[in-house]
Amino acid sequence: MDQLIEQIVTGLSIGSILLLVALGLSIIYGSMGIINLAHGEFVMLGAYAAWVFHTYLGLGLLASLVPIFLVVATFGWVIERYVLSLLNNRPLDTILATWGVGIMLQQAVRLMVGSELRYVQLPPALADSMNVFGIPISSYRVFLFVVSIALFGATWVLMNRTTVGMKLRAIIQDRSVAASFGINAKRVYALTFAYGAGLAGLAGALVSPLKSVSPDMGTGYVVDAFMVVVLGGVQSLAGTVASAFILGELSGGIAFLQNDTVAKTIVLLAIVVLIRFRPEGLFTARVRA
Amino acid sequence: MPSNASNSSGLQRLIAQLAPLLIVSALVFALPVLLNNDFLLNKVARYLVLGILTISLGLSWGFGGILNLGQAMSFGLGSYAMAMALKLKTVPVHTGASGLPDFMVWNNVQHLPWFWEPFRSLSFAIAAGLIVPALVAAALGWFMFRGRVTGVYVSIITLATMVVINLVIIDQQSYTGGFNGITDLAQLELFGVAFDAYGRATYYLVAGCVLLSLLVAFAFTKSRAGLIVQAIRDHESRVRYFGYDVALYQIFVFALSAAIAGLAGMLYTVVMEFASPTFLGVQLSLSVVVWCAVGGRQSLVGAFLGAVLVAGMQGALSESAAFLETWTLVMGALFVLVVLFLPKGLAGLAQSTWRWVAQRRQAAGGAVARGVSQTEGST
Repeated sequence: MDQLIEQIVTGLSIGSILLLVALGLSIIYGSMGIINLAHGEFVMLGAYAAWVFHTYLGLGLLASLVPIFLVVATFGWVIERYVLSLLNNRPLDTILATWGVGIMLQQAVRLMVGSELRYVQLPPALADSMNVFGIPISSYRVFLFVVSIALFGATWVLMNRTTVGMKLRAIIQDRSVAASFGINAKRVYALTFAYGAGLAGLAGALVSPLKSVSPDMGTGYVVDAFMVVVLGGVQSLAGTVASAFILGELSGGIAFLQNDTVAKTIVLLAIVVLIRFRPEGLFTARVRA
Repeated sequence: MPSNASNSSGLQRLIAQLAPLLIVSALVFALPVLLNNDFLLNKVARYLVLGILTISLGLSWGFGGILNLGQAMSFGLGSYAMAMALKLKTVPVHTGASGLPDFMVWNNVQHLPWFWEPFRSLSFAIAAGLIVPALVAAALGWFMFRGRVTGVYVSIITLATMVVINLVIIDQQSYTGGFNGITDLAQLELFGVAFDAYGRATYYLVAGCVLLSLLVAFAFTKSRAGLIVQAIRDHESRVRYFGYDVALYQIFVFALSAAIAGLAGMLYTVVMEFASPTFLGVQLSLSVVVWCAVGGRQSLVGAFLGAVLVAGMQGALSESAAFLETWTLVMGALFVLVVLFLPKGLAGLAQSTWRWVAQRRQAAGGAVARGVSQTEGST
């Protein structure tokens, strides 16, 4: 029984990290239709920003979260403004462009700070562990869970209860009609992309104490985040949450069963079959052609 | 008379379109005369093989609109088919009964597995190197295109499928050589000619296959099926409303592209003298997309040259690590710029420059003619 609860708690912890990484990707993909292959590099930038703030400015992780969000969001804004906005009618080419941008970011970081692994300290206040249902678990993981849910809530409010969110939803429905109502689609897109990038940066900063930081750390995250978005369904934030925790529990269980190749193969094949038979994702009710 | 005139201009256009293809092939064949260095020739042959692979992607991506991120899968399958046959031809040193490959002996495999048996025949292996990739692609294409999967989803499915096959090959070490691949191969021998990786014969074999693939791909793009495939790329539902079976044409171009990639894979094994799981890795597969985009995805010769130039430059710079790191950065920037401003790649740039020059010349010629007629009129 204890083991089962432990498995579930581990799964929740993995799921919350997945949700953190996938949330930004889901916003960008769902609203702009851009497959952002540079997403993993935004995660990596966030992790390096945490390291830089800590090593050179002596800021703790929690204190530097807001500046990290702003820094990575600025990167995102610049990339949207000067690269992606030129590719409005060529969705396939955005894959290529963001991939190229990702390579540049990765290589630039490698040239500037080297490719050796870096480590970020846990915030001292969250370094101990606490009891959840009688299972000892590190406070930091509980903190991550709470933060990921909070960020999801904030994003939901932003999309559904603010003017910017309403404008964005109008553009998703019909860009030209929205524009004729005076909505500046370019500006909203740039802000959306910046927000998504900022979220990825936050995700990178938040996972940095748990894993080592390296220039190519983003590659794994972008694949995982994609699976979450594909499984959850485009344009469905709630679906993203559900699929993040489903995948979290699954990978927890698979790690328990221990055969990496079989696990990966099964997950990839499942994704392939899912795309073929339900491209709109598991949790989307409405389909718009 | 008008029909005759249009016919001859059509022939002229065909010749004009074939010209770059033939010129490039002639250069490829002439290179050994200028470059009297077997080591360098082997390197060039390697880039030429990658060029063939890129032609195959150009066929499905540039002409069919199918961005296959798993193009290296077909390449790797072809490469393994050739390697399996050449492995069985080696003189066994540490092998067990009936010439069992050495890595199988290390993994305590007692008998040659059934799917290795037919590879004792070289002609079977060569046929398999073409047909297996084509069949796998046709099956995958049937799965995707019958379900009307398009765009980004095709890319994700092809990439995921390639990764699965890659994982299986690495995992099944006792049958595939696993992470190390298949090494220590015999030389390819065809019609009494031995193809040493560093010999002239191999170079000319590769050059011949370059010409062959360019011609086959070119003929396809000019055929009726090729035109329909391009129409599907531009407007899929319109072609469907005309009553064409869209999926069938997509499956065909997908399989043809895979067969050419399989040919490239087989040649790669001959040139490199081994087969490895990296031949169907994500890295190579994405590089092919870059080469194709830089060279020009809608031009077969462009795609070929894009691969040879970019891969060749990368190879030349990879001697120094610092250079290589900067190069990767430059490469990323170059790629982004090409995607943004040259969607038709260098070939598109060459074409528009050519057109511009021709127009200028025509305009200048017209002005001269007008000047002549004016002076004639005044006298």
